[in-house]
Amino acid sequence: MVKRINLKVSSKLLKKKTRKNATTLVKRCRFSSNPELAKDIDYKNVDFLKNFLTERGKILPARISGNTTKYQRLIAKEIKKARIMALMPYNAVSF
Amino acid sequence: MILYETLILTVPEITNDETKQLEKQFDAILQKNKSAKISLDRWGKYKLAQQVNKNNYGVYFLTRYEVDKEHMANLLSELSDYLKLKAANVVMRFMNTALDSRKGLEYIKPLPLDESARDIDKFLKDNKMEGLIAGPTRPITAKPIHHDDLKEIEESLALDEEL
Repeated sequence: MVKRINLKVSSKLLKKKTRKNATTLVKRCRFSSNPELAKDIDYKNVDFLKNFLTERGKILPARISGNTTKYQRLIAKEIKKARIMALMPYNAVSF
Repeated sequence: MILYETLILTVPEITNDETKQLEKQFDAILQKNKSAKISLDRWGKYKLAQQVNKNNYGVYFLTRYEVDKEHMANLLSELSDYLKLKAANVVMRFMNTALDSRKGLEYIKPLPLDESARDIDKFLKDNKMEGLIAGPTRPITAKPIHHDDLKEIEESLALDEEL
């Protein structure tokens, strides 16, 4: 006879399992699905570029905004241009 | 031909004469290098995101022009010389960028201070708070007081005291 032992499952393990099995929304780059939107990426178009900043005025990472590397590079470049011309802040307490 | 644009940030206290001279010199440099000016827009007064040369406000100008490949390097160096040295008392910053001819010449600019500032009366009307709008101020008409009027006033004052 083989004894069956009921193993206690810790809460941490359970959480890990649920996280693994959870179906999360897949982030997609808004530019690669709609290339015409890429025309808006311009250092003069400050209102559009504000979507890619944090509250403090830092550039949002691609892993959060979902941009592909190609468009992330473009956006970062334009934001830096706008900063030089004082259209956008380098770092702001409240922006 | 290559399309170029220059965004110029100037001092907020820039006068009309100074803007005219800036435009004049710009045109002269463009003509010298056989390039054609497309447009020069005055954006207006803006609040800057950070201080530039101890200024919180600034006025932007955007110029666009076409250049040949041969004259390109010379034109850009002359322009930067002029903006950096001769117009240094007016120009705070500038930026040359090559334009993509496929994109077209349309562009979106941020709202300047003058347009973004709201009119209070219009705001109250839009939000149906017309009762709060201040009416036209009444002109004060002071009449010279006659002796007869004085008597009446004295009588009324006396009546008040009795009461």
